[in-house]
Amino acid sequence: MKSSETPSPPPLHRRLYSVWFRHMRVYTRHLLSNGFPPFLEPLLFLAAIGLGLGRYIETMDGLQYVVFLGTGLPVSAAMWTAAFECSFGTFIRLEFEKVYDGMLAAPLTAENLIVGEIIWAGTKGLFFSFAVTCILLLFGIIQLPYALLAPIVGFLTGLMFGCLSLYITSFVKTINHFNFYMTGLLSPMFFFSGIVFPTSELPRVIRPFAELVPLTHSVQLVRAVLLSDYRLRHLADLAYIIIFIAVVGWLAVRRLKRRLVY
Amino acid sequence: MRGICRGDERGMSAAVIRVGNISKTFGPVHAVRDLSFEVEPATCFGLLGPNGAGKTTMMKMIYARSPRDRDCGGTMDIFGFDPRTQELQIKCLAGVVPQEDSLDDELNVVGNLMIYARFYSIPRAEALRRIEALLTFMELSERRHAKIRELSGGMKRRLVIARALLNNPRLLILDEPTTGLDPQVRHVIWDKLRLLKRQGTTILLTTHYMDEAFVMCDNLIIMDKGEAIVQGSPAELLERNIEAFVLEVDSNAMETASNRTLPAGVRVDHSHETMRLFSNDVDGLRAVADTLARGHHIIRRSNLEDVFLKETGRLLNEIQ
Repeated sequence: MKSSETPSPPPLHRRLYSVWFRHMRVYTRHLLSNGFPPFLEPLLFLAAIGLGLGRYIETMDGLQYVVFLGTGLPVSAAMWTAAFECSFGTFIRLEFEKVYDGMLAAPLTAENLIVGEIIWAGTKGLFFSFAVTCILLLFGIIQLPYALLAPIVGFLTGLMFGCLSLYITSFVKTINHFNFYMTGLLSPMFFFSGIVFPTSELPRVIRPFAELVPLTHSVQLVRAVLLSDYRLRHLADLAYIIIFIAVVGWLAVRRLKRRLVY
Repeated sequence: MRGICRGDERGMSAAVIRVGNISKTFGPVHAVRDLSFEVEPATCFGLLGPNGAGKTTMMKMIYARSPRDRDCGGTMDIFGFDPRTQELQIKCLAGVVPQEDSLDDELNVVGNLMIYARFYSIPRAEALRRIEALLTFMELSERRHAKIRELSGGMKRRLVIARALLNNPRLLILDEPTTGLDPQVRHVIWDKLRLLKRQGTTILLTTHYMDEAFVMCDNLIIMDKGEAIVQGSPAELLERNIEAFVLEVDSNAMETASNRTLPAGVRVDHSHETMRLFSNDVDGLRAVADTLARGHHIIRRSNLEDVFLKETGRLLNEIQ
């Protein structure tokens, strides 16, 4: 009994937008408590480590230490926010709040929902790296107008870590398992991907591992953008990021779908 | 199979939901086994059964939240669409009230509905208009700016039903709509659902309240371990599957009343503390009752719960 008055489902871009909008709306609901820390954190970081430590370490890799450190921070901020959003955040929505039970009753497929989640992780990456960029500008560490491109790298970083975190989440049975991900994977990545010191200083055997992890490529790209110092290898970084998003994103959708529709 | 679907007798064309020989397994567990039924427009169809009977799984297969077994060879037709390939079309025509409320705690009542309206791409002005109408309909208007945490269980349930009605669905799917709610709220919800049905909405619900099934459902299936045990209208089920009257007696009182033979046609169902004598002959039951001490027995008409317990057994299964 197919009826002529059957409503047609919203097109793909509207479905993805509606998922994104849901997250945006919930996030901006507490604008002050959610919007303030992204600015405060880099401020503290630069004050405490950059300036304090910077009095002992004057230059690193040919840059003033505070500049070296500061130009890496936009992407680490993007990494942390996207990773939290798509690990703890997704898991809570999935298992505790049952938000997806409601959403999947609406005209959305599980794939739409997961891709929308990834785009939202990218958006948070964009916002957090923008916040760091503002603080860097305030400190006079970087100059306009190059600075305005940094949030785009933050967006890509957010997408990468959104995909990776959703993939991890698809395996996780209890929320405590994320501790392994945070402490075992993300923290080392923060310290050894060229934010605090250049990867070229790493022991020769470890260096290839540093080149393998996603954050390293984000750091190299964002530093190039902020200092307007582009090399050919930055194209490789960009290619890495795009391939990572495509491959890990595909894996995440495929595996997490089985947690949503079964 | 007892109780072939009534839709079969009335002709195939009318049904809006047509499920034929559908199975669903989770590893070694048969959640749904070879289930078939049809639902006609503007009727209420109930899936009943103990916990773990497969009610929710069957329901989820209809709105594509759960895929049926690839090799089960069955068919599903929901308004002419197959959930396997046309999930979005079905979701556009259906409204779903999941078992758990799944509301966004961070948003207020209207906020929750606005977000949901966006999933259907309902324009803002139209969404606001529908939300006001639905809040009035579900008697939640005064709570429009309340936070979700401030709502009672009954209000949350009504809000989820309002949310499921945002797209003016032609099929409303409710998974245990009144579990855990007080009698007043249950009756309000039943009234609203009956009104929707009268306006042409087809309703599919799961419940394990037999009184709910009796007042709401035009047709129902009692399921157990994934299989349909009995199927039909509540009146038919009572007529076909159970004696008309039951005498409930305190087990101890029955013992002291001697071991004399019971009248013919009496079926005895003995649970731990209570003995139930079923019979179509109410006078025979009265005669037995007269020999008992006062206050320890009651004669009543049998109800769906008696059918349910007869068909699914009194003992708890391993997941209840």
